[in-house]
Amino acid sequence: MITVKSQPPVAGENLPITSSNWIAYLSSAQKSCLVENGVRKVHYNLPDGKEMVEEYNLQTNVLQRRMWKVSDTVRGEKWNVEVGDQLPQFDNIDSVGIQENSTAPMLSKRITKTNIEWRIRNLPYARDVYSVTADDDGITVRTSNKKYFKKITVPELNRVGLQTDGSLLSFTHQFNTLIITYKKPPKVLEMEAKVLEMVKTISPTKIPDIKNAPDQCKPS
Amino acid sequence: MASIAAAKVQEVREITRIERIGAHSHIRGLGLDDSLEPRNVSQGMVGQLTARRAAGVVLEMIKEGKIAGRAILLAGQPGTGKTAIAMGMAQALGQDTPFTSMAGSEIYSLEMGKTEALTQAIRKSIGVRIKEETEIIEGEVVEVQVDRPATGVGTKVGKLTLKTTEMETIYDLGGKMIECIMKEKVQAGDVITIDKATGKISKLGRSFTRARDYDATGPQTRFVQCPEGELQKRKEVVHTVSLHEVDVINSRTHGFLALFSGDTGEIKAEVREQINAKVAEWREEGKAEIVPGVLFIDEVHMLDIECFSFLNRALENEMAPVVIMATNRGITRIRGTNYMSPHGIPIDLLDRMNIVATKPYEEKELKEILKIRCEEEDCEMSDDALTVLTRIAGETSLRYAIQLITTSGLVSRKRKSNEIQMEDIKRVYSLFLDENRSMQFLKEYQDEFMFNDIADAGDAMDVADG
Repeated sequence: MITVKSQPPVAGENLPITSSNWIAYLSSAQKSCLVENGVRKVHYNLPDGKEMVEEYNLQTNVLQRRMWKVSDTVRGEKWNVEVGDQLPQFDNIDSVGIQENSTAPMLSKRITKTNIEWRIRNLPYARDVYSVTADDDGITVRTSNKKYFKKITVPELNRVGLQTDGSLLSFTHQFNTLIITYKKPPKVLEMEAKVLEMVKTISPTKIPDIKNAPDQCKPS
Repeated sequence: MASIAAAKVQEVREITRIERIGAHSHIRGLGLDDSLEPRNVSQGMVGQLTARRAAGVVLEMIKEGKIAGRAILLAGQPGTGKTAIAMGMAQALGQDTPFTSMAGSEIYSLEMGKTEALTQAIRKSIGVRIKEETEIIEGEVVEVQVDRPATGVGTKVGKLTLKTTEMETIYDLGGKMIECIMKEKVQAGDVITIDKATGKISKLGRSFTRARDYDATGPQTRFVQCPEGELQKRKEVVHTVSLHEVDVINSRTHGFLALFSGDTGEIKAEVREQINAKVAEWREEGKAEIVPGVLFIDEVHMLDIECFSFLNRALENEMAPVVIMATNRGITRIRGTNYMSPHGIPIDLLDRMNIVATKPYEEKELKEILKIRCEEEDCEMSDDALTVLTRIAGETSLRYAIQLITTSGLVSRKRKSNEIQMEDIKRVYSLFLDENRSMQFLKEYQDEFMFNDIADAGDAMDVADG
């Protein structure tokens, strides 16, 4: 009855992994754009019914956040974060039932100009405890004291049809945080530039500037 | 042949053994072979060959799942195995087909209307098989910690530490989840899975590393390996939820956990409509499948005319389950009216039903049933004691005879015997009156009882079948 899918619960897991046609996939979407607070927000209505949101920093043109909308058959919909910090959860523990303790390790992913970075917070163990290795379907983090284990998939590499390369991988540990860095291969850089170019062509929707609006209407 | 069957039954009992023995706990199926022919004694069922055969045909219809809204009436005298046949059907259908059992009088609740109770019962009997990818947590329990506030009232705080061969994580637990864990008696060393979406906990077994914790373990204890890899996994699961459960999940702010507390109350019609539309949508998208189940209403003559007309209408819905009803009444008044009708059911509803009759048992069958019950109640009985008991069952009622099994067993144990003898039966027969003797006694001593002058009105009294 139950079949195991070997995809780990990394942010943004059920992705349309289609290597080189990623750009074609994105450009086939119905896109809308919004510029707000120094962030360019792009919303994709993808032809296969999926919804995705990207946020680009206007200054650096780096992707800050990418989220996918997942509809749960029974309980409505939520957003799965692929890049950027996890959305804050305000649910009461009684309504959730079970959740990780606040001291449990937490993974977040961020993208810089040259690297893809993962931060695992709340990992208090010494640096020599960790081992980070590249394997076929991603990066595996292990601890020799058997306290933490994680398989991380790298969808960016899948989209350009690359395998994880151990020589591009490095990690450091400070302030209870394990930082894993993966240097972007040229193919990924190239793809990102193309996507950015496409995104820039979308003319942003005008939103009324409420703060500096001419004071025609004075609410009493 | 018989001994093989007996051995099989024994084996099944080892696994499903629960602490208490109910009136129909000996029933494990309908006792039919592959061609739907009833075996004379099988799976706890004895005799009633035609009724069982009919039930088998109905079962096929349910399994195919195409026909909606059929009603079956099991009619027969008290103690002729109506409930037993329904239980047998439930067992034969298995876990995946919803089977709701209710007594006719259950609808008279102060908390909700009659039609609401019936609607909920009907929706409980329709399953939706949903295929979805859910997050499950699978690991070995390292520690369960539940803190109650010092005052004794207020919310409990719980922590659960789980591990795999590679990692270890602490989880916070909500109040309802703590109750679930208590109920499942989860303790350190158990390997469990928790479905994050539904909050369902299932125990897989005990970890091998804990195999030496106790000198003695029950026969059911299963030892499993500590899971590997990450604690949280995504699995594609197919689970069957009832429409009622989907209703509850969507009608309350506190979500699925209302299911465990049972305080569902009335559900708004708008919610139901939305759910119906949603389910139809999932069905078209291929995400879900409808599994029509069975609603069993025992003592159906206890329903009143409003319920019958509601059922009439409800059976016409294409989402309706197969409704099985049981009654022990002859031609009697329909509740809520002054009209007489066969089985106390309006003619128009009767017309829509397939009626299956159960006949009184023959002496040979009574003996078989008593023998099965002796086994179920862990009593050994000598042959002549069984013959006597069978005679008693024939002359009084099968239920009375079954009551005598455990009582005579206790009497025989008091005289340090393992086997029930004829004298034990005689002793309990004199200790406990059957219905006829009780009536006899009352007639003799009527004058000495209180309020004896209104005894004439007693003929309207209802005697319910269990």
